[in-house]
Amino acid sequence: MLRSLMAGLRALIRPSERNAQIEEELRTFFAASVEDKLRLGMSQENAEREARAEIGSREMVRHNIWSAGWESAVDSFLRELRVTARQLRKSPGFAATAILTLAFGIGATTAIFSIVEGVLLRPLPFADPGRLVVLGDTVPGISMGSNGHIGVTMPQILTYERETRGFAALGGFEQAGYEFSGAGAPAEISAARVTASIFALLGVAPLMGRTFTQQEDDRSQQVTVISYAMWHSRFHADPQILGRKIELNRKTYEIIGVMPRGFEFPLIPGQSDQSRLWVPLSPTPDELQEAAAWCCGMVGRLEPGVTSAQAQQDAGRVAQQITRNFPAYMSSQRIGAKVRPLAEDTVAQARPLLRILFLAVAVVLFIACANLAGLLLVRVIRRRREIAVRRALGASGAALLRQSLVETLALSFAGGLIGLGLAALAVRVGISFLPESLPRVESIRLDWHVVLFAMGTALLTGLLCGLAPALAAARTGVNETLKDGGLTGSASGAQARLRSALVVAEIAVALVLLIASGLLLRSFEKLRDVDPGFRTDHLLTANYRLPQTQYSRQVAIDTFNSTLLRRLERLPGIEAVGITSYLPASGMVRNSTFVADGYVPTEGTEVDIAWPSSVMGDYFRAAGIPLLSGRLFSGADNVKAPLVCIVNHMLAEHFWPGQDPIGKRLRWGYPKTPTPWMTVVGVMGNIKQMAVDAPTQYEIYQPSSQLMASYGKLVPPGLLNAQAGSIVLRTALPPDSMIESLRATVLSIDPQLPLTKVHSMDEALSRTEAPHWFNAALISSFAAAAVLLALMGIYSVIAFSAAMRTREMAIRIALGSQRADIVRLVLISGAKLAVTGVLIGLAGAAAASNLLRSFLFQVSPFDLRVLALAAIAVFSLALLASVLPARRAAAVDPNGALRGE
Amino acid sequence: MGVGNRELVQGTLEMLVLKTLALESMHGYGIALRIEQVSDGVFRVNAGSLLPALSRMERAGRIRGEWRSTENNRRAKYYTLTAAGRKALEQECRQWGRQIAAIERILEA
Repeated sequence: MLRSLMAGLRALIRPSERNAQIEEELRTFFAASVEDKLRLGMSQENAEREARAEIGSREMVRHNIWSAGWESAVDSFLRELRVTARQLRKSPGFAATAILTLAFGIGATTAIFSIVEGVLLRPLPFADPGRLVVLGDTVPGISMGSNGHIGVTMPQILTYERETRGFAALGGFEQAGYEFSGAGAPAEISAARVTASIFALLGVAPLMGRTFTQQEDDRSQQVTVISYAMWHSRFHADPQILGRKIELNRKTYEIIGVMPRGFEFPLIPGQSDQSRLWVPLSPTPDELQEAAAWCCGMVGRLEPGVTSAQAQQDAGRVAQQITRNFPAYMSSQRIGAKVRPLAEDTVAQARPLLRILFLAVAVVLFIACANLAGLLLVRVIRRRREIAVRRALGASGAALLRQSLVETLALSFAGGLIGLGLAALAVRVGISFLPESLPRVESIRLDWHVVLFAMGTALLTGLLCGLAPALAAARTGVNETLKDGGLTGSASGAQARLRSALVVAEIAVALVLLIASGLLLRSFEKLRDVDPGFRTDHLLTANYRLPQTQYSRQVAIDTFNSTLLRRLERLPGIEAVGITSYLPASGMVRNSTFVADGYVPTEGTEVDIAWPSSVMGDYFRAAGIPLLSGRLFSGADNVKAPLVCIVNHMLAEHFWPGQDPIGKRLRWGYPKTPTPWMTVVGVMGNIKQMAVDAPTQYEIYQPSSQLMASYGKLVPPGLLNAQAGSIVLRTALPPDSMIESLRATVLSIDPQLPLTKVHSMDEALSRTEAPHWFNAALISSFAAAAVLLALMGIYSVIAFSAAMRTREMAIRIALGSQRADIVRLVLISGAKLAVTGVLIGLAGAAAASNLLRSFLFQVSPFDLRVLALAAIAVFSLALLASVLPARRAAAVDPNGALRGE
Repeated sequence: MGVGNRELVQGTLEMLVLKTLALESMHGYGIALRIEQVSDGVFRVNAGSLLPALSRMERAGRIRGEWRSTENNRRAKYYTLTAAGRKALEQECRQWGRQIAAIERILEA
């Protein structure tokens, strides 16, 4: 085996040495034969002749000896490759077009595949990830989003951990923001509070140090495990990091471990909110009383042999038990439990987007492939004469087939390599443009899966594209081809039909993509046109969170807030300042149940849910929300004053239709919850609270100072209010110019307090629109590429068939045909292809409508304007692509063309 | 190839070469001559099939070739049977014997 390999390799590398050996052996054989014959008494001359005759053709013998080794197959392949390279060098235009077409198609497909692979296909970076599940509550009446659950509450974490039987391990976590200081400038960082069981359950060991223990979790020890990224960015990968103290919310924590690179938990979409460190969950006694705050999540590892459906049943039993033990005021609340694979839960949101991207890119690849097949067919037709001559000289059909395939494979290999380079570039550059709605962005890269995919796609495309032309070449008839000169006359009917079919298919799929892009652009336009209900221009916003250690009493918090408002108001260039608990249109989900006085709920609606906002200062004027009736809050609406609230128009219309809402009453909670009434003093216009593309909700505003009182007896003593909020500044100057004075003002009150998410409202909105923009932009660029490629296809088909018909055209002109008639003739052949393609494309778009619907915003997938525009555009572009060949055909000189025979 | 019934039975060339080399090492022409003489001129092996077969067997490690000088002081490539070649020969002989016996039984039936 090994010997054969080595000998073969040597023969390949030094063919002359091998040839010399063969030559020498032949010579000695000949000499021995002659000697033998001389001994039998033959004359020298006769002996030599006889010996030569016995050996036969030396060339044949040499060839046979060569063929005995495996290297001869490689050798003939290399020879074919050399021939191919020579032929391609002779037609650089064809080679470049073919390779670039392929490189482009494969590059785009590979780039998208690397995203799909990183996000969807690669297993989660945990031990045995298939057994990991998430556990969350389902609550009737609340939108659960694509995950189908809303997480769990803090007390439930303990109950589920204790009472379920289907899990080998179960752990809870809460995402949290911390003010971080102790290394570099103070900053707000994303972190996660996790139960001690989480690390063991995920099966990931720390890179350095250790993770925390159950005991540390139970005893609320202040220890933390930091991420690899944090270790690098904040501590310069200091190997002596263990034992170092840092400040989180101005409390001292000890670093006890560093997680390995690539460890992400919880797996959330986007890059900006990834957890940088982990601390023990250690719920406070107050938190364990919050039975209605679904703030947390749970992950578990299934017990061996238990399916996730069985685990869900088990968890459902516990959920019922939890429901029975709800405090009295929540007695009308029902919950269920949902268990689903962690991998599923992580990517559910991203799946449709990736699917549509992949389809779009596959369409581009298909068109590129069809174009390549068209090019190859043209090449075969142009080379018919050469092929016929080779056949006549004895080349077998199989040899010609092999030669053609070697050529396309060489092309596709080159295209694949360049495409891979393009994809690597695209992934490197493009990763920062990926929307924040995509999870696991960290794991997107070109690995060997992707390389394999690219090269596999390249070779497969090459084979598919090359097969039909290669068969056509192998079947070339010698006689008829040589008789008609090879270039004149029309190409064989079957080949012409194949090329037409390819072009029709290209036009059809390009149209589908163009329609998709048109629809996405339309819905993006609609999205931009949505009136968010407040004035987004000249609005600067920033978030802050006061650390509990320094602001442990409500007085301190109130003093900070009022000082901040007062100082900001005095800044030059400020028109109005307010603080709100949650910024509108920032993608945040807030749900609070409430009861409206005198309203009898209709059957089926179990609870009414509104978006709660507690506001300070001149919030409404700052945000530019119009007051429709009643009054705004004033300084008189303080802790001691009667409870008041302001509702939005939608709430007033629904609960008190045709009545004056001013003076009506509302309260938080469920019908049986003992909360005090708030009196409606004003009605504001509807605003988009959650996101611009989300439906408008009921909205209830209240003065921040009255929030505690409005919760009545539910509030545990010592709970603080308004320690976090969003500052809203209406500016006369461009908002960005006010950032520095805003920061300076905050630091003048608390020199350690960081501000986060400081940007203008317009900028914040464009960020929430980014995923839509990403979809529209990417699909549009694919559509543009597809249309361009399809046009190239139709151009080359028309141009080629016109060139083939030069003689026919010359005869027509000689017989008196007008040049305009010739132009029309060619144009009509182009138009026929275009119309067929457009019709099929429209049908295709209708078939794809369901896939698209979920990405559209207030646009039907059958939007007539888009359909018509796209169809007309494709049709006229196709016609335009036929104009040039048509004019060239009409300009033919009949004398020259006919004499040139 | 030779004339008429001088054609070798398909697939036996290797066996005959191995058998010939089992006695002593020889060069290419010597092998051809020996096969012709031993078979009383029934089989004649020409260079076109012998040399590729030798090359193939050398690759497979059944024989080993080395350049030596002949009795007439010429250089020639002498082939020697290897251990693997000896084993292969035994196996092929056994196989051949079985086949011949089977063919005889069929012919006599």
